[in-house]
Amino acid sequence: MVSRAKIKELMNESACSHSKDKKPGEGCDKPKPGLAAGGCAFDGAQISLFPYADAVHLVHGPQTCLGASWETRETKTSYTGRDHTQMGFTTGINTNDVIFGGDKRLDASIDYIMENYRPEAIFVYSTCVTALVGDDIDMTCKKASEKHAVPIVPVHAAGFVGSKNLGSRLAGEAVLEHLIGTKEPEFTTPYDINLIGDYNVTGDMWQYLPIFEKIGLRVLSSMSGDGRVGDIRTAHRAKLNVIVCAKSLITLTRKMQEQYGIPWISVSFYGKRDTTFAIREIVAALGDPALIERAEAVIAEEEAALEEKIAPYKALFAGKKAVLNTGGNKAWSIASGLQDLGIEVVATSVAKSTQDDIDKAREYLGENGVLMKKPAAEQGKIIDSTGAHILLAGGRSLYTAIKKKISFIDVNQEKKTSYGGYGGLLNLAEDLKYAFRNPVFANVGKPAPWEVG
Amino acid sequence: MEFSLTRSEHKPLQVNPIKHSQPMGATLAFLGVKDCMPLMHGAQGCASYTKVFFTRHFNEPIAINNTSVSDITAVLDGGDYSILMAIENIQNKDKNLKPSMIGLHTTGLTETKGDDVRGVGMHIEIPYVFVNTPDYEGGMESGWALTVTAMIEQLTEAATETKPNKLVFLPHLSMQPIEVEKIKSLCEDFGFETYALPDLSTSLDGYWEAGQGKLANGGITVDQIRDLATSSVVISIGASMKKSALALQKKNPAIEHIHFDHLMGLEGCDNFVSALMKIRHSEPKPMIKRWRSRLQDTMLDSHFLIGTSHFVVTGEPDMLVGICALLRSVGGTVIAAVSTTFSDALHTIEAENVFVGDLEDARRFFDRADMVISNFHAERILHTVENTALVLRGFPNYEELGNQLKNDQLYEGSTYFLFEIANTLRKVKHEH
Repeated sequence: MVSRAKIKELMNESACSHSKDKKPGEGCDKPKPGLAAGGCAFDGAQISLFPYADAVHLVHGPQTCLGASWETRETKTSYTGRDHTQMGFTTGINTNDVIFGGDKRLDASIDYIMENYRPEAIFVYSTCVTALVGDDIDMTCKKASEKHAVPIVPVHAAGFVGSKNLGSRLAGEAVLEHLIGTKEPEFTTPYDINLIGDYNVTGDMWQYLPIFEKIGLRVLSSMSGDGRVGDIRTAHRAKLNVIVCAKSLITLTRKMQEQYGIPWISVSFYGKRDTTFAIREIVAALGDPALIERAEAVIAEEEAALEEKIAPYKALFAGKKAVLNTGGNKAWSIASGLQDLGIEVVATSVAKSTQDDIDKAREYLGENGVLMKKPAAEQGKIIDSTGAHILLAGGRSLYTAIKKKISFIDVNQEKKTSYGGYGGLLNLAEDLKYAFRNPVFANVGKPAPWEVG
Repeated sequence: MEFSLTRSEHKPLQVNPIKHSQPMGATLAFLGVKDCMPLMHGAQGCASYTKVFFTRHFNEPIAINNTSVSDITAVLDGGDYSILMAIENIQNKDKNLKPSMIGLHTTGLTETKGDDVRGVGMHIEIPYVFVNTPDYEGGMESGWALTVTAMIEQLTEAATETKPNKLVFLPHLSMQPIEVEKIKSLCEDFGFETYALPDLSTSLDGYWEAGQGKLANGGITVDQIRDLATSSVVISIGASMKKSALALQKKNPAIEHIHFDHLMGLEGCDNFVSALMKIRHSEPKPMIKRWRSRLQDTMLDSHFLIGTSHFVVTGEPDMLVGICALLRSVGGTVIAAVSTTFSDALHTIEAENVFVGDLEDARRFFDRADMVISNFHAERILHTVENTALVLRGFPNYEELGNQLKNDQLYEGSTYFLFEIANTLRKVKHEH
């Protein structure tokens, strides 16, 4: 069972940028009835761990938790064994289990999985109901782990303990407590890093991993995109933790610094400048002059190749202006990508951004860029006043684009292609090309024959 | 492993489940009531998952709120605090929001702690309907049915008189918006003043309109639900809806109840049309007769392909019953009918194997099947199976577009369904 002290600790993460604005002990916001949208802690935990394709992810709870969530994320893996990432396993407890406890069912389910699927590990997720009735998941997992001789990791992130973000942190706790440091790597290099927080959605990681290889960086383990349980167990031997666009796992990296002396940095791989910046940060943190030199050579080569490929797009996009309305780090990361393609970003939303994100957005957009606090109300006027040609936003803003007869890209929709790394910029460019060309937003809003006066 | 139709489970877990939860069925039912605010009573994740699930299936904004029960309120609160706070917070946030009704549905969490959701209603000024839908019991189909029953029991006013040509029908969960519309329109053609409860035909039917869905944006109105006991006929479609029809009859014993397990295929549709003819003493419109003969022709055109093919069908019980009956009527062999949950109606299915299970179970039959009819989750699994075609039906269908306009009901829908099955079969049966 997860203790209140642990949740309090996680909610008061000292490395969080917003913590400095709060009173001592206040911590992150708790969900308010009626106002909380977005996923729960269980959701966050599952997102953070699910990409381990060599492990089975067993959800110990009633039907909603897994039934509505499995196979919903395009987290790619290169694992050649059975890909458990796109499978769903749940104990699907019934009334009997609620009354008498679900430990026996859980135990039998683990046996069934080991017998039929032989995974490298099993993550067992507690959920609201099984946490409330007090199933002893820790004991069941411990015994089963001894019996089957593979790690069986209890994840205590029942939905009601908080938000998705907290759940990711709790997943980090489970990994730190049960996996990291339980195995030694076959060999180490001075350039071993852990990637933390990239889940390889649509294959984002594969846009930049080949570049790492060219430079000579080795990814020792990943939490958890294209990750392997065997690798994360050796993560304590890495020289550097690299957090990719994920604030939620800062607690994990801070603790790894305390326990194993591994420093950490936070980077993003959206757009050309960010990718270059990220590579420079990583090699600088490792501090080896030869590595830095190799990195600069690779950066120069990659950037030159990319410039050549994006030149025709730049010509196509010359003079185009965009309004961006999306949340979190996308407020500046997509802006950066758009600018790399020669598009002027006249406004971006900072409604849900942290102070860090706001500062960064200001830096990218410059003095004249508008940082929208109430994007729903502001974006229409800004499109009028700036003559913007495209709106990149969630589906709810579609009507604004139709009303203003400008192009639209739904940036919150489940992506099918990656926008990450240097190569992802070309995917973004392609999508933009088709969006600018598409007359549908002007066509669809035409008045009906019976509406024409 | 032997599969048989029983209420008891044959293994301790589900692998690649097809089953969905009761509260999700409740949400969908409430979305068929105009300006209703579905309010899920549980931790925030349940509602978030449900919202994404239906948004991706229908490609429409889904109006749903939740009470965000936390670990503290789970222990200390009896439901009053989180439900009342949720309603207050939502209304303070958007003063222009005027819900016609609060549709409160519980989850496993709030059922385990045993909240008094009935009692909370005393403190709410907006019309309020509650339904107990723990997700450790039943499934999506029963959650939908329980919600319909709850709306009738709690909203509909008792009556003694009936209006001779007023009809209400109760569609089962798996009927898509266009199917509800087609049934409505057939009844209207017979001269009935027709209502559907719930009515997704004007709510999630994919019409384009400005604005965003904070409340259910179409559907039957609260006043119309209140007044349903003046109907002369209630028609339940799908075994899961029988109890809801009986609940309405309790409000007015003069209401005639007619039940159909499904409206697919010539026989299913003939039964329905003859029932309407009997009440109205009239014949159907020429177009209906025309569609019947088109269906007859289609049955003959498609019988060879379908009649020489083996099928695995998975889904909610009421949908399974209809699809299997239609396939059987043209000679299709159902080697496995895999249901999400148990229902007595499953006994009526003619198939080599009928059982409650998941896609791990269904997979055992895929190699022998020419076609699988299942939800989105079967698609990836079928990548490893050669020469087995797939037609997607049931929840969820995350990737295909136009789910809300897929019509498999009545003469017309059955006709298109048979063509779709036969044409898809052709790709695996003739092209290799």
